[in-house]
Amino acid sequence: MGGSGPKPKLLNSDGSRLDGRKLEEMRPITIEARVLNDADGSCLLTWGRNKVLVGVYGPRECIPRHDQSPYRALIKCRYNMAPFCSLEEHNRSGPSRRSKELSKVISEAFENVIIAEAYPKTQIDVYIEVLQSDGGTRCAALTAAAVALADAGIPMKDLPVAIAVGKIEGKLAVDLFKDEDNFGESDNPIAFAPRNWEVLLYQADGLLTRDEVEQGLELAKEAAKKVHEVQVEALKRVYEKPHPPSVPLATGMFQ
Amino acid sequence: MTKIVMPGEMVSERPLRMAYAYTDGQKTYSTVVAMLSPEGKLIPLEGPYDALPEDYVVGFVSDVRFAGYSIDIGTANPGSMSSRDSREKFSLGDMALAKIIAVDEVKNIDLADARKLLGGRIEKISPVKVPRLIGKKNSMITMIADATGCQIVVGRNGYVFISHKGDHKLAKEAVEMIEKEAHTSGLTDRVALYMKERKAARGGESAPASGMPPQGGMNAQPQAGAQSGQGGMPPATGQ
Repeated sequence: MGGSGPKPKLLNSDGSRLDGRKLEEMRPITIEARVLNDADGSCLLTWGRNKVLVGVYGPRECIPRHDQSPYRALIKCRYNMAPFCSLEEHNRSGPSRRSKELSKVISEAFENVIIAEAYPKTQIDVYIEVLQSDGGTRCAALTAAAVALADAGIPMKDLPVAIAVGKIEGKLAVDLFKDEDNFGESDNPIAFAPRNWEVLLYQADGLLTRDEVEQGLELAKEAAKKVHEVQVEALKRVYEKPHPPSVPLATGMFQ
Repeated sequence: MTKIVMPGEMVSERPLRMAYAYTDGQKTYSTVVAMLSPEGKLIPLEGPYDALPEDYVVGFVSDVRFAGYSIDIGTANPGSMSSRDSREKFSLGDMALAKIIAVDEVKNIDLADARKLLGGRIEKISPVKVPRLIGKKNSMITMIADATGCQIVVGRNGYVFISHKGDHKLAKEAVEMIEKEAHTSGLTDRVALYMKERKAARGGESAPASGMPPQGGMNAQPQAGAQSGQGGMPPATGQ
């Protein structure tokens, strides 16, 4: 948060943001479920200029064996940024500390929602690939992962959704893009379980007053409702479009 | 009317114990993307196989150990079969139909009564679509087997054995069509019509190659459209 040098103006003279949005306006979102043939569940999501692809595999054998739990499945979310996803990621190899942090907090958000006791001694892999990033990728990642998990038929108590609220030039705004995130005063990604709007993830970057936190939560909730509708619609649409074809599994080749 | 519900969506105003749902003590909510029937029953549209004793499953030998075999049935951990529990001897890669005799609390699966399946291959469908593929009183699977002349064995785990003999290509297409459209109505008639058209298009080349009478369908879970797949009877052979 915060670059070096003079900070750019983030609000135009008419109060609109640099991309023309109002403070409470979200970027456009598209979600498509069941996009990978071999994954148990999958999702391709675009959110503004973010592009995220998620593949879910499992429940499957837990490797390494010594990590497995006889009581529940292990939820392993891997958030990874493709080397081409942004100019800052150029030539990076392996997960950064930020990627490891996001993998952890996203896994923990889902641990509260996935009914993992149904699948002891297994792991559920959620591979999140950020193909293009422009701020708010962890929210896009979590939102897409929820759709992919539902597509896989993994039992969950809810369909989580995430969005970020922040402060730019003293005003609360929803769904910050990269420049707003880097040069604004605060960025707070929040994930909700929409049934009762319980918070599954809340990260606070920068400073907000208590009132601003409360207002921010309300703004986030209103915006998240709309994102949730897109998730639901994407999952329902799976049953109107053709599925990828299957492949034979075993051919009795030893006979 | 039947509608599609999401995880976390309310399916009853009362706290009920039902499959694919959970309750917070006040109301009941779905845990998966499912169809909610007018009677209030949840039919999942996708999901992993939930192994139960007495289920008949199809799989292949993935490991040969000293006193038994590991059989891949698509679950997270393969099923185990002791040599004492099967009449036949198996080699690595053999396909088999077997019965689940025990599932413990950490989901170790014990199999027995395995019978080798020869001369075919295994196709995989989602386990939740198996009841649709079998049909009420085996109606769907018998229709496909009769029309194609293939031996078809449907495991409750979603593995489907299709013999090389007979019009196995058409059988596979029918299986794929059912998996794709399992949630729609009027499917049985559409599948029957589709197969009739495909056979006509090929100009009657689909008679069984060996001149044997059509084998008929053999399915592993002959419950009349049972959604839960519980209970077991020995597999039926359709004439």
